[in-house]
Amino acid sequence: MSLNFSSPFFLFGLMGMSIPILIHLLTRRQQKHVRFSAVYLLSKSQKRSTKKSNPNRLLLLLLRCMGIALLSLALAGPFFSFGDSEAFRSNAPSSYVFIVDDSYSMRSRIKEKTLFESAIQFLSNLLTKIPEGSEFSLVLASHPARTDQDWIAQKNSFEKLIHGLQPSYKTTDIGHAIEKATHLLSTASNKKKNLILLTDLNENGWDKEVFSEVSNSLNTPLQVFDFSKLAMRKNQVSVESVETRQEFLARSRILKIKTKIKNHSQNNQRLPASLIFDKKTEKEILIDIPAGQTIAKEFSIPLRSGDTIQGKIKAGEDALLTDDIRYFSHKPNQNIKVLVVDGDPGTISHQSESFYLERALNPFSVSISHIDPTVSTLAELPLRSLADFSVVIFANVRELPVGYELELENFVLRGGALIFGMGDQIDAKYYNEKLGNLLPVTLEAAQKFKKTHLLFENNQHPVMRAFSAKAIQEMKEIPFHSIYTIQARDKKSFKVASWFTNKNPAILESDSGKGKVIIFLSSLDRDWNDFPIQPTFLPWIQRWTQYATRGLENFTQQNLLIGETFTQKIDKPNGQWAVRTPGGNLHLTVTTDGKTRFNKTNFPGVYTLFELPDKTLPETITKLPLGAQPIGSFTVNIDTKESSPQKLSNIKTFLPNLKVDIKNPELEVSQLPTSEGMRLATPLFLFVVGILLIEGWMIRKE
Amino acid sequence: MENASSNFDPQVLARISSLKITATNMVDGILTGQHRSRHKGASVEFAEYKDYSPGDEIRHIDWKVAGKTDKYHVKQFEQSTNLKCTILLDASGSMAYQSPFEKGESKIDYARNLVAALSYLFLKQFDAVGLTLFNDAVVQHIPPRSKASHLQHILHGLSTLSAKGVTQIENVLSGLAERLQSRGMLILVSDFLTRDQDIHKSLKLLRSRGLEVILFHILHPDELNLPFDGDTVFESLEDDPTVGLDPIDIREEYQKAIQEKIAQLKKISNGLGVDYVFMDTSIPLQQALSYYLLKRKSLIKI
Repeated sequence: MSLNFSSPFFLFGLMGMSIPILIHLLTRRQQKHVRFSAVYLLSKSQKRSTKKSNPNRLLLLLLRCMGIALLSLALAGPFFSFGDSEAFRSNAPSSYVFIVDDSYSMRSRIKEKTLFESAIQFLSNLLTKIPEGSEFSLVLASHPARTDQDWIAQKNSFEKLIHGLQPSYKTTDIGHAIEKATHLLSTASNKKKNLILLTDLNENGWDKEVFSEVSNSLNTPLQVFDFSKLAMRKNQVSVESVETRQEFLARSRILKIKTKIKNHSQNNQRLPASLIFDKKTEKEILIDIPAGQTIAKEFSIPLRSGDTIQGKIKAGEDALLTDDIRYFSHKPNQNIKVLVVDGDPGTISHQSESFYLERALNPFSVSISHIDPTVSTLAELPLRSLADFSVVIFANVRELPVGYELELENFVLRGGALIFGMGDQIDAKYYNEKLGNLLPVTLEAAQKFKKTHLLFENNQHPVMRAFSAKAIQEMKEIPFHSIYTIQARDKKSFKVASWFTNKNPAILESDSGKGKVIIFLSSLDRDWNDFPIQPTFLPWIQRWTQYATRGLENFTQQNLLIGETFTQKIDKPNGQWAVRTPGGNLHLTVTTDGKTRFNKTNFPGVYTLFELPDKTLPETITKLPLGAQPIGSFTVNIDTKESSPQKLSNIKTFLPNLKVDIKNPELEVSQLPTSEGMRLATPLFLFVVGILLIEGWMIRKE
Repeated sequence: MENASSNFDPQVLARISSLKITATNMVDGILTGQHRSRHKGASVEFAEYKDYSPGDEIRHIDWKVAGKTDKYHVKQFEQSTNLKCTILLDASGSMAYQSPFEKGESKIDYARNLVAALSYLFLKQFDAVGLTLFNDAVVQHIPPRSKASHLQHILHGLSTLSAKGVTQIENVLSGLAERLQSRGMLILVSDFLTRDQDIHKSLKLLRSRGLEVILFHILHPDELNLPFDGDTVFESLEDDPTVGLDPIDIREEYQKAIQEKIAQLKKISNGLGVDYVFMDTSIPLQQALSYYLLKRKSLIKI
C-alpha cells in the first residue's frame, strides 16, 4: 500500500503553509495589549453582544494551512495504490516500452502537423517527465512490426532516435507489435514496467488471432493514447486501384487507365480525379461517389511512342493525402515478329490454315497490333532464319524438314516460342518420335465429338485476364467438332492452360530453356471449329502470341504493395540489375537461383530497373555506371486496407484479461502516465474548494 | 523605620507638597467662608470683628457696634465641631487605570487631589478628618483628627498609597460600620468597578447608623466610552481573566452596561439619601468640586 506522486515537485508547495502561519504571527504581534479596569464588564458585554466577535483565529489558521497543503498535494498528482510501494513510486526508475504506430494512417494531417508528428511530440514531452535511471525501448507497429530500439538507458539517445522517426507507408500490425513488446517486457531490468501505445486506433491491423496468443502472456497494463481524437477531419477518399490496358482492334494506339475510387465518408462526394504524368495534369474529371461506395472510372489516352508511361491518379484532397494518389506504369507492347508455317496451304486463300491467323495477328496490315506475321510454307522453312522471329506458329503441319527439329530445339532454348495448331494433316507418329524434346505430351489421335466447348471455370490464366465476362460467354458458345487427345510423357512437366467441356485438355504449355511451347489441341482454321471466325479469336490469338514471348509477364505490369518483394526471373546468370527508387536512390537487386529480388519497396511510386554491364560491381552504387540500360519499371502502391477511417471500437475484445486504459493525448500530455493506483487529485481539489467555502463563510460571519 | 524612610522619599515629599499646594489653592480659591458644617458645634466662642463685606451673613452683623460707629462689623467666632469625617479611598488596582491615549491624570491621582482638597477643607473648618485606604480590605487607616497638622498625615498617606489588589467595598464597609462614630460623615471615593452587588445593603447599614454618606464616583472617560479599536487584548488591573476582542463589536453594549451601573448607583444613593457625585476625570477637579460644593450649599439653604 503506498501513496505516490506523479509530480512530486509540487510538494514544495507545502512550504506555503508557513505563509498563513507567518501572517498569523505577525498580526498577532500587532494585537494591542491594554491594561484596563472594567474587564469584567467587557466580558459581560461580549457575552451579550449579538455580534459574535473574536473569530476562531486558530481554526481559520488551520483551515488556511490545510487549504494550501491540500492544493500542493493535489497538484503533485497523488495516486494511491495497494501495490509494492517501491515499484510504483513515481520517481522510481521504470522500464518503458513505447509502441509507436507508424502506419500511413498516422500521416493524417491536423492543422500543420501529422498525427505521427503529434505522437512524436507527445512522446518527447513524456520523456521529460520520466524519472532518471529508467530504460526505454521502441517498437514500430507498421507491418511487419519490429523492435526499432532494444532497451536503452540513455534518455538523450532515445529522444534523438524518436525525433529521427518517419511514418511509413505501410499498414498497421498492432498484434505483432504487442507481441514484440511482450518479449521486451520479459527482459526489462526494472520492477516497474510500462507499456504505452501511441496510435490512431485504425481498425486495420488488429488481428484477433495474433492477440489471442499475446493476451495470455502479457500482464503489464496497456496504456493507449488515441491520437485519432486530435484529427479534425476523417479520411474521405482513397484510390483503390489503377489498371492499364492497351486496346485491341483499334486504329490508333490507345491506353486505357482504369481506376477505382472509394468514398469512405457518410456523405456523397463530388471530387476531381486527375491523371498526372510527370507532375503535369493530363486529364481531370469530376466524379460523384455515393457514401461508402466505390466507383470505377476509365481514362483513355493515345499512346504516342513506345516508351514506358509512368504516372499517377489523384482523387480529391482530404486529411490523408497518402491514399489519394496511386501510381502506375505501362510499357506499350513491342513489335513481335511471328512466323506462321502453313501446313495445308490451299489455292483459295481462305481455305489456307494461315488465312485466319494472319488476319487475326495483324488485322489492319499495319503494325497497330504490334504483331508482324510472316506466312511461310513448309518448303520455304529451311530458307528462313529463325533468329529473326520471336514466335513460330505451326498450323496443321504434317512433318518438319529433316533435322529441323534440332534447329527448333535451339530456337526454344534461346528464348523462342512455338505454337502448334492441330489439324487433319498432323502425323502423330512423327510428332511423338521426332519432337519428343519439345512436346511434353504424346499425341494419340484426332477424335470427333458431337459438340464440345472451351471450359472457362476458374480460369485465371494471364491470357484470359483481359477478356470481359461477355467475351468469355461468347467463347464458351463456340462449338468444337474435333480435337486431338494426348498422353503425358514421363518426366515432362506441362500445364493445361485450358480444358474442353468433355474433360480433354484444350491448351497445353510448357517451358523449355528460356522459351515456351504451346499446343492448341484443335485447329487454327475452320476445319474443326468455328473459332477463327469469332470476334474473340483475334484478341485470343494475339494474347497467346504475346504470352508466348513472355510479353504478358513483363514486369512493367507488376503492381506491388508497399513492403512486397519485387521478383523477376533473370536470364543472364551473372547479370546485375539496379533499381532506382522514386526518391532517386539506387539499389542493387539480389540474385539467387535465377531470380533477382528487391525488397526495399518502402515508398509508393514508380521504380525503374536497369541492367548493368557485366562486370564486378561494389555492393552499393550511388550513380549508374556507363552502359546501364533501362529495362523496365514496376510500381509500388499503398495497401488501401489502412484507408478506412473506421476506428476500433472495443479493445477489450482483443485483450480481455488485460487492464487497458485509453487516454486522450491532448489532455494527458502534462501528466506522466501512471499505470497503477487510484488518482486522488480530484477529491483533493474538491476538499480545497470546500475549505475555501468554509473560510469565506467564517470570515463573512466575523 | 519604614515610615521614616518613606517620609524622606523625595518623590513622596514632592507629591505631598504638590498635593498640599493643589488642595489649598483649590479650597482657598473657591470655598473660603462658604462652606458650613451641617452639624453645628456645641459652643461658639467670639474671636474678633471683621469689616462687613457683601456675602457675609447679615445676622452676624453686630448691630450695637453699628449703632455706635455707623460701620458694619461682623462678629467672628472660634468654631468648634464634633463632626468626624472619614474618607474611604479605593486603592484597588482598577483605580490605577491610565489611558493609553493621553498622559492625563489617572483616577488615583484625581482621587488623591480630591481627598487632599476635602481633607484640607475639613481641617480648615476644624472638623476631624480621617483617611482609610482599602482594596479588598483596609490597607491603611488614619484616624480622624482636627488638628491642622493632621493634614500632613493624610497627605503622606495619600502619597504613599499604590493602587493594587481587588475591590471589595462591601466587606470594607461592613467592617467599618461598627467602628465609625454615628452622626459622622463618610466619604467614599471609588470607581465602584466591582462585581459586588450588595453595596446597597452596606450603605443602608451606614445610613441606619446616622452617618452622612457621600459617594464620589470617579471614572475615566475611557471607561465610559471605550474608545479603543482594532484587535485588542484587555488585561485586567485586578484579577479578571484577560479578554481578547475587537472593542468596536461590543462598544455599544459596554457603554450601555457602564451607564446602567452609574444609574444603578445613583438610584441606590437617592433611595438611601446618600449624596452621589459622579466625577469624570476629564473635567478639572476644581470645576467639578466647586460645582458640587455650590450645589450642596444650595441644598443646605433650602
